[in-house]
Amino acid sequence: MGESCHQSTQNLVLRDYCQRMNYKYLLSGTEYSINNSYLMFQQLIDEMPVINGIVAYSIFQLPENQEKRFQIINRILEKNGEIHFALENLKISNEMELARVENIWLVRQTLKNCIVSLVS
Amino acid sequence: MDNQFTNSFLSKEESSISQSYINKGYYIGRVADQNSLDFIQKTFIDIITNELNIKGKVSTEELFNQIHNIIEINDLNDFRLNIIRKINEVHDFRKHYYQIAKPYLDLLVGNELVMQTKVNLSIQFPDDDSSLLPTHADTWSGDSPFEVVVWIPLVDCYKTKSMYILPPNENDKLNLNFQALAGSRSEDLFQAIKNNVEWISIDYGNVLIFNNGLPHGNRVNLEKETRWTMNCRFKGVYTPYWDKKIGSFFEPITLRAASISGMNYKLPELK
Repeated sequence: MGESCHQSTQNLVLRDYCQRMNYKYLLSGTEYSINNSYLMFQQLIDEMPVINGIVAYSIFQLPENQEKRFQIINRILEKNGEIHFALENLKISNEMELARVENIWLVRQTLKNCIVSLVS
Repeated sequence: MDNQFTNSFLSKEESSISQSYINKGYYIGRVADQNSLDFIQKTFIDIITNELNIKGKVSTEELFNQIHNIIEINDLNDFRLNIIRKINEVHDFRKHYYQIAKPYLDLLVGNELVMQTKVNLSIQFPDDDSSLLPTHADTWSGDSPFEVVVWIPLVDCYKTKSMYILPPNENDKLNLNFQALAGSRSEDLFQAIKNNVEWISIDYGNVLIFNNGLPHGNRVNLEKETRWTMNCRFKGVYTPYWDKKIGSFFEPITLRAASISGMNYKLPELK
């Protein structure tokens, strides 16, 4: 949902996050640039629990569609895994953390219908 | 001339607070929740004594106002960054921060709020010129004019141990002639407004809420005590965001049930 920057910058943010959190940073997975593609992401989830967590650049890289978003997150939680978001410094490892991230998503999507500028 | 704030649905006291914010660009009130301030002060004391490996009892006066007698100036920034990181790791720290200002935020901003994801800290030693914040308005660097700053002192702040702010009527004059007055560097701007700024005087136990669109900053602390103040930004959830975005900079903290229901609402579909 428009939250992106150059891949090398994303990698810097991911490495810094892992270092701060004391996590072992493995290879970064790069999603295909095809619209609405989550193929690489799904592949990473398949590798759980061999890997115990995924660090994404931003929560806004999750699907815009709420149902698809929940499907992905629930798959991670069912595998007792967790997903972190480096830009927002947030993680989802349980239902409460999911609700926290989801509130941000809902507000972000609602903002499309709110005033965004002071100039008409 | 002052702008008249009129809202007949507010009480006399609420109107008075609102009028103060609009006319002066800020409001100072007693902390709304003393337990929350106590929690925050104790958190600081625990972190500082641990960071400095202080054993035994040390007065709050020594830990805050006189900390410059314990820490070398060259170590100040690392010390400050460590404290910021640690307070933000404390569970419920931000919740207590919010509770301190809650009724004022409800009145001045609204009751559905986003809060900055990190609480910031300023520590300014006497005569230290390494911790200065040149004249600026937050709106000049990406903050939305719908935000307010909640500024909580851990010590009494006065004169140069505090911050200054340019009142709204003086800001209007500055904006009319900004190019000429701003000069070629931020110090020129301060020199142009220095006789019109107001130095905030606020004692520990009070909270300051100010308009981030007004020029403000600090100067070398010429008093004999160290300044300790926290700051954090709040705004209405649905008001315009500028560069500081939801998620990375702001997080919703008081979404109401009707909003959550509304945001999840889906019209039935005919297939």
